[in-house]
Amino acid sequence: MQNNRRKTVSLQMLLFEFRKTIGNPYVHIFGVGMPVLMMIIVTRAVMSQVADAAIRMEANTSVFLGIGALIPMATIFMGYGVSNAQEIEKGIPQRMELFGITPGMTICNRILSETIFMTMAFAVYFVAGYAVVGMKAPKALGALLYVVCILALSVILFCLSYAISSLLRKFSLTYCVTMLLYFVMMILGGMMGISFDNMPEPVQAVAKLLPVTYINRDFYTVWKGENYNFMPMLQAYLLMAALAGILMFFTLKHRERKLH
Amino acid sequence: MLLSIQNLTVRYGADTALGISSPIEIQEGDRVGVIGSNGAGKTTLIKSILGLVPYEGVIRTKLRPKQMAVHMQFNEYTDAMPVKYIMEAVLGTKISRNEKLRELIDFFEFGDCLRKKYTKLSGGQKQRFTIIMVMMQEAALTFYDEVTSGLDFETRQKLVEKLVEWYRGKRESLVVVSHYYEELDQLADKLLILDKGQVVDYGRKDELFRKYCGRAVIVVNHCEKNEKLLSKCKRLCAPAHLIAVSCESEEMEKEVTELLQKNDVNYKRSNNDIEILYTNAKTVKGGCFDAE
Repeated sequence: MQNNRRKTVSLQMLLFEFRKTIGNPYVHIFGVGMPVLMMIIVTRAVMSQVADAAIRMEANTSVFLGIGALIPMATIFMGYGVSNAQEIEKGIPQRMELFGITPGMTICNRILSETIFMTMAFAVYFVAGYAVVGMKAPKALGALLYVVCILALSVILFCLSYAISSLLRKFSLTYCVTMLLYFVMMILGGMMGISFDNMPEPVQAVAKLLPVTYINRDFYTVWKGENYNFMPMLQAYLLMAALAGILMFFTLKHRERKLH
Repeated sequence: MLLSIQNLTVRYGADTALGISSPIEIQEGDRVGVIGSNGAGKTTLIKSILGLVPYEGVIRTKLRPKQMAVHMQFNEYTDAMPVKYIMEAVLGTKISRNEKLRELIDFFEFGDCLRKKYTKLSGGQKQRFTIIMVMMQEAALTFYDEVTSGLDFETRQKLVEKLVEWYRGKRESLVVVSHYYEELDQLADKLLILDKGQVVDYGRKDELFRKYCGRAVIVVNHCEKNEKLLSKCKRLCAPAHLIAVSCESEEMEKEVTELLQKNDVNYKRSNNDIEILYTNAKTVKGGCFDAE
């Protein structure tokens, strides 16, 4: 009888999940290609309108930081969501569970593999950013806070994505819903041409609930190491985290095997 | 005792998919064949034991989930990588470093398939892929749900031979669901007969055979001549193209076989024909009789 306890995170499982992550074409298109392309296009547009070099650099950096939030939104929220739904549709998670690979093990290894992929995507994004766009160098604390905020957003988006795909259980539906939410977050976050200040008040009220709004609108201040009131951003994070956590808890409970 | 089932009811909406009232026990080392037509509740039974469907009643076992392995009717895996990596992740090992795994891969002649993606495998290769991983679990209780479904005759036979060979002399308990009687003949020593979600009977194969068919059965093709010849014999229910007669004693068997030989009629004698056993068990218990 094989009774050896399996580790929650193992090299084989991590590589397995990483291969699944990179095997998903969506993450390359929307998670790597699109943010780089958008960053180049938008900063070019800014450059053509702003004459002052210092203001141009400021604007470009702000755009760069905001569009960077698209990476976790695309690789994790959309990419993982559709891939998980596709697997659920085929009964793969249940098959893995019957082999003793618990949802907890899958989730932990997947989070790590998504983090590795996202780091690589950010590396490409930063290289492209510094090569193509004149960017202001950050203060150490500003850069650290950017990493923390992106990572926190990624974890929340992972939980949301897991819950949505587990509840909808179909690739087509999950694709539709995550894509819709992806664009809603982009629009409300001010990444599609309408800035927060130009939005109608009721829309602003909704936009304030999204962490991406603060990353896109305010992060340049944090990047420079200037004083910033984190409270509204923190509230948005907490609200989204609570929603994602509740949904994830509910889906995990729902999936639990009942053995007597 | 490895597992016991009492008063089990599984419902899908308003329909009762499975209702087991008499207790069923699986002992250590048992090889249980589960037989029944489509919709009889075979897969539902496995799913309820594994805790994959909600049920009412009691399933008692000392086994933990990881001590039960299962080859489901449909098994799917990611297509993002060659199956080698799936196997290594599922089993938490490296093929090159695991002698037992390499032995199983060789035993099932799967070595050449390791570099392929799952969708590129043939039906038989797909089944063998899951079987290898299921066997590697070394579970106290293993379920095989229609493991040969959709395979051609030759592949099916080869696969069952491999399974029989692998489990020969081992202590692991098996529950094998199959529509192929000859598979159950080779793999099972007990039978659980299900029909429309109800248990028709459960017991040792030889005991059930005696109960429903007698000491032995003689089976001939169904034609008018054979009908007349065997008109005085004790007839059993049989598929429409066959006539089956029960022989309660050695003398009776001798009498029937001599009669058939004298009239130059081909016949088959058996004391473990699962098809005839299944057909008669269903008829006796008042299940639907679709044989004639």
